[in-house]
Amino acid sequence: MRADQIEFKGSRRGLAAILLRGYALMVVTLGFYRFWLVTQKRRYYWAHTHIDGDALEYTGNAVQLLVGFLLAVAIFVPLWGLFFYLSTQGSEATLLGYAGAGVVLWFLTGYAIFRARDFRLSRTLWRGIRFDLEGNAWGYAFRRFFWSILLVVTLGLIYPLMAADLWRYRYNNTWWGDQRFLMRGRARNLAGPYFACYAIVAVFVLGMIGVLEGVLSNRAQMSDEALGELVFAGGGCLLFLWLVVGIYRAIEISRMASSISIGNIRLRLKLHWGDLLILQIQFAVALALAYAVLAFGGYVVLGTVAPAAFADGFDPARLAVALQNSYLVLLAIVFGYLLVLATFTLCVDLFLAMGFWMLIASSLRVGGAAHMSSVKARPEDGALAGEGLADALNVGAY
Amino acid sequence: MRAGARYHDGRTAAVHDVDVFISPGAVTILERETSDVISVWDKAKVYPVYSSEGHLRIGTEEMSSGARLIFTGRHVDAVRAALPALARHRMMRKRQQMRIAGFGTLALVSVVAGYIFGIPLLAERLVAAMPPEWEEQVGETVADQIEVSFAGSEGGVFERCDPDPDSLANRAIRRFTDEVMSQGSTPFRVDVAVMRSDIPNAIALPGGQVYYFSALLEETRTADEFAGVLAHELGHVEHRHGMEQLISTAGTGALIGFILGDLTGASVAAGIGSAMIDTRFSREAEREADRFSAAAAGRLGYNPAAFADLLDRVSQEDGYGSAFALLSTHPLTTERRETLQALAEEENEATAPFTKSEWRAIRAMCSTGSDAP
Repeated sequence: MRADQIEFKGSRRGLAAILLRGYALMVVTLGFYRFWLVTQKRRYYWAHTHIDGDALEYTGNAVQLLVGFLLAVAIFVPLWGLFFYLSTQGSEATLLGYAGAGVVLWFLTGYAIFRARDFRLSRTLWRGIRFDLEGNAWGYAFRRFFWSILLVVTLGLIYPLMAADLWRYRYNNTWWGDQRFLMRGRARNLAGPYFACYAIVAVFVLGMIGVLEGVLSNRAQMSDEALGELVFAGGGCLLFLWLVVGIYRAIEISRMASSISIGNIRLRLKLHWGDLLILQIQFAVALALAYAVLAFGGYVVLGTVAPAAFADGFDPARLAVALQNSYLVLLAIVFGYLLVLATFTLCVDLFLAMGFWMLIASSLRVGGAAHMSSVKARPEDGALAGEGLADALNVGAY
Repeated sequence: MRAGARYHDGRTAAVHDVDVFISPGAVTILERETSDVISVWDKAKVYPVYSSEGHLRIGTEEMSSGARLIFTGRHVDAVRAALPALARHRMMRKRQQMRIAGFGTLALVSVVAGYIFGIPLLAERLVAAMPPEWEEQVGETVADQIEVSFAGSEGGVFERCDPDPDSLANRAIRRFTDEVMSQGSTPFRVDVAVMRSDIPNAIALPGGQVYYFSALLEETRTADEFAGVLAHELGHVEHRHGMEQLISTAGTGALIGFILGDLTGASVAAGIGSAMIDTRFSREAEREADRFSAAAAGRLGYNPAAFADLLDRVSQEDGYGSAFALLSTHPLTTERRETLQALAEEENEATAPFTKSEWRAIRAMCSTGSDAP
């Protein structure tokens, strides 16, 4: 192993064991166990990630997350009340309420992302020295909010400025001990690839809109076959655009991360879009296989507890009747529903999230870590109570 | 005993290669190259930190939170054996966490129980305190939403079958409605509308609006069945069940959001879950509406159990009907028919609720010329 390498020693099997046990306990505790599960998951990721021979350590605990969640509930309860009241005040007020709630949530998401990042960093140790995030979460929320308005107004053209600014705000406020992270990435580093991708996407989208309009106006003359071919081609275009976006994402992350330094340490990240694509394909295949197994299992179980529904071909109405008359059928369906939900999150965790973490670990180089022995610790950051809003809004992976 | 280890002092990022001596009282840490003593830890105050397989990571309560000793490979088991405080600390922490999780879950269970039993009661109280104008406003909103969803899904308009308020059918329905409600105390201007829709159902909105869908009217064979359904829905109006249901659905959605940790409440799970829990509440409401209908039947001279015939027929002939009933309103049980029958026993000297010509007019409300009976 080279000195500047990051090594991830975890495995899908190891994480799956933690997750499956956690899901089972979540059922028993009505979901209350999730704070413990998140904590265990992070401990696993952190402890298995070795940088220059030393593992990261996650020092957070479940009770901190629980407290944060309760604080978030305190914020949300009056919002619910307001929203419920608005929804009783006629259709316009309801629409206005939805729109308002959407805007407020979008704004709060920025705050939540920053706070969650602060929580995780300030509970991460490497070589006994804590990371930290300074800066103001509300400030970040405002920045992100106003950038996103500009983004809409300029039809996305402002994106490189926005991305570079937000990356800089996040990283220039990040500390390891008494060393501040320094990020030199600028919008011009993103502009080339961004506008190239933007042009491709714009051409395709405009083309697709044109074709769609043509189809709508000539609907009568079109044969079903020609229509089918067009739908097929449209699907192909969307997949291609997905790929273009993936390529850009890989370039943005690589260029921005590679412009970061911490004292003598230089980060270099070479993320290849093909690897990102492989992640997504792995996820899709795993999910499809898992769901095929679940569907077969569901067929067998429901066929046993509610044979009437499958008497001659499947009939949802007869299943509904069986559901009303038998707690066993109800139990089977609720359990099946939980299984479908759990399978999805399991696949996301094992293939998308862990895959991405492993990819970053294997593509990131940390040059100069050996010369950092004089970095000093800073005093505790005790002000943070959990990351409740992030938990509540369901942002922030890992 | 003696073991090699890596040491972080928690003050600087320097990594020390050290030799560790564990004596009966203390853990002594020596720089390997110079053999200088860097630190001495109290053996009783060390604690383990989670680490990957084959590693043992320990900290001490005496020092800054970042100070760590890291053992690897063959030393791990020996160090564990020499430091019983590690296992003790681990057990203690585990018990503490289990206690918190256990009590938390108990608290959650009682909150859920409180919700399930308390929300219907609370909803009833809240509704009683709610100004009728407000509920009418809510009713209009709900009606708008229903109109939008029906117009959207069927590609047509959601409209009254017979828009003329002074037609024979509409006058008959209004007279029946007034007679049924005359014994009640509803603050609302009650309006019954027969609406064009493929769904065999009848619904009572908050604020006094009742919809009887054309698909149900087609299934309705006798005036008794029609009167039974109407009186039942008017019972919902009298007891303000629509508003109660709305409040308790909002409450249950909030609870499920709380459990799943998704406070935006946008998750599909919340919707399905609240629909399932709320069926229980709505069955209570159905019984109340049945009693109301049976009481009216005594005065107005129809058989309230005919209503059960119609429900059975709709649910058997039309699969959608039963699936619909599952998630929303009507529990189709033989028990219910028996209850209705028992309530109906006491009647009845009164005349029929509708005359023959009135009933014919009502039956024909939604028929377009050619297929009129």
